[in-house]
Amino acid sequence: MEKSINAAIRKIVPKLLYFFIFLAIWQGVVMVFKIKVFILPSPILVFQHLLDPAIAVKYNWWRHISATLMEVLASFIATAIVGIALAVLISWSRLFSQLLSPIIILFNSLPKIALAPLFLMWFGYGFLPNILVAFMIAFFPVIINTSAGLIAVDDDLLDLVRYLNASKLQVFVKIRIPNSLPFIFAGLKISATMCVVGSIVGEFIAAEKGLGYLLRDAQAFIDTPTMFACLLLLSAIGLTLFSFIGFLEKVCMPWENVQVEK
Amino acid sequence: MNTHTREKNLMMKFGKFAQRSFVDNFKSVLVIIGFFLFWELSVRLLHTPEYILPTPSSAISHLLFKQADANYNWALHIRTTVFEFLVGYCVTAVLGVGLAIVIVWSKRFKKLSMPMFTFINSLPIIAVAPIILLWMGYGIKTNILIAFLVSFFPVIINTMTGLDSIEDDLLDLVRYLHASKLQIFLKIRIPNSLPYIFSGLKICSTMSIVGAIVGEFIASDRGLGYIIINSQYSMDTPPIFSALIVISLAGAALYWVVSLFERLLMPWAFKSQKV
Repeated sequence: MEKSINAAIRKIVPKLLYFFIFLAIWQGVVMVFKIKVFILPSPILVFQHLLDPAIAVKYNWWRHISATLMEVLASFIATAIVGIALAVLISWSRLFSQLLSPIIILFNSLPKIALAPLFLMWFGYGFLPNILVAFMIAFFPVIINTSAGLIAVDDDLLDLVRYLNASKLQVFVKIRIPNSLPFIFAGLKISATMCVVGSIVGEFIAAEKGLGYLLRDAQAFIDTPTMFACLLLLSAIGLTLFSFIGFLEKVCMPWENVQVEK
Repeated sequence: MNTHTREKNLMMKFGKFAQRSFVDNFKSVLVIIGFFLFWELSVRLLHTPEYILPTPSSAISHLLFKQADANYNWALHIRTTVFEFLVGYCVTAVLGVGLAIVIVWSKRFKKLSMPMFTFINSLPIIAVAPIILLWMGYGIKTNILIAFLVSFFPVIINTMTGLDSIEDDLLDLVRYLHASKLQIFLKIRIPNSLPYIFSGLKICSTMSIVGAIVGEFIASDRGLGYIIINSQYSMDTPPIFSALIVISLAGAALYWVVSLFERLLMPWAFKSQKV
């Protein structure tokens, strides 16, 4: 355990260092070239907008953060559950696969973000349309990856358990699903970013709170530091979700870690 | 081989590809036609109001014929969006592949930049759209830049991965034969990376369209994204669906052209599949 914590620290420290070097260069460039605030604010100013109580109180950050966070999390959970369940259904029954696959492929090639205004019209402003847009975008990587993982099982292994009279359910629970885990997590990682993208685009178009809304609002007032602060927060939300999935992956598939350490 | 026979060969390949992709897709086309029929019939039978869900036929007629209400100059809007995403896409393809080759040329540069690119790729890039708008103002250039930024990173990451995943034995062999770095790139690395490049380009075909449309959502006075937003304000649903149909067709066409190039540039990959 101690070892893994040490390893984690060793992994994070250089990344943080890069981040601070990046911030320092940014600050230096802004100060040396005297770039105007509305074009590119210095990172210090951005953090002031985020943290300094005197300035930050104006923006009511938590209201916007919580709205976006709620949308991202709800759409991500829906994506994970529905995507994995549908993939299991498709690989379980041939009928489902033949019926659903062309429709899934059709929708996958559709630029789904273009549906956002339509959802807003159908469901009104608020959380629901944004969650639905995020769900629509993020859902396909999960379903495609999961079904690829469920199918990509060693034929010899299947022959063996068939010979041992394993039931279809047993094959699924003990072979197909464990085999598909790496694929599922890869899909979830892609969809984590997409959930953030989907939520923001909905908020761009119409919303009364959320970081996407604040970003647009700040743009209207040429309030660039706030825009960069939003960008920072959105990246942080995406990255946190991303690394949480990486953590879950390690917990769910301990056998992979052993291989790596060798 | 003179140019004439080469052209003929290309045409034959093209014909075969078209034929094969037609047969391959026949079943899917049936399901899709069934889907549209089901849509048309259920809207008509249930008497759904048009502002909630129009029939596909009404959406298509909005595209083709003059309407009593809201008339859009479809040719202008389609041209604008197609121009935006095509330029964004071409810049992505050229710059993504070119930059990847330059970066992989130097080992140290590659080691430094690869984590950075994967990191940026995991960020919600579309969030920079309003900032770009602030910097560059409304217009086609802004949307092109957004389309480019959204689709650029998958291409460069895929190309770098492809250039880098070469069997060590092969590299040892040609090094032993005194191959120059340029030769290794031209004869081994670049051909090896083609499948990766094309999978990146395919992912990006939809992404560049999405980028252009989101740019038009935020601010513009023309383009299919503008039509969608404008119709949303006036609760005029059929043009939204017309625009969606055009966008999907454009996306499918771009994807198809990329796969066509893939078959022409790497015929070996498809030969082995046929056997």
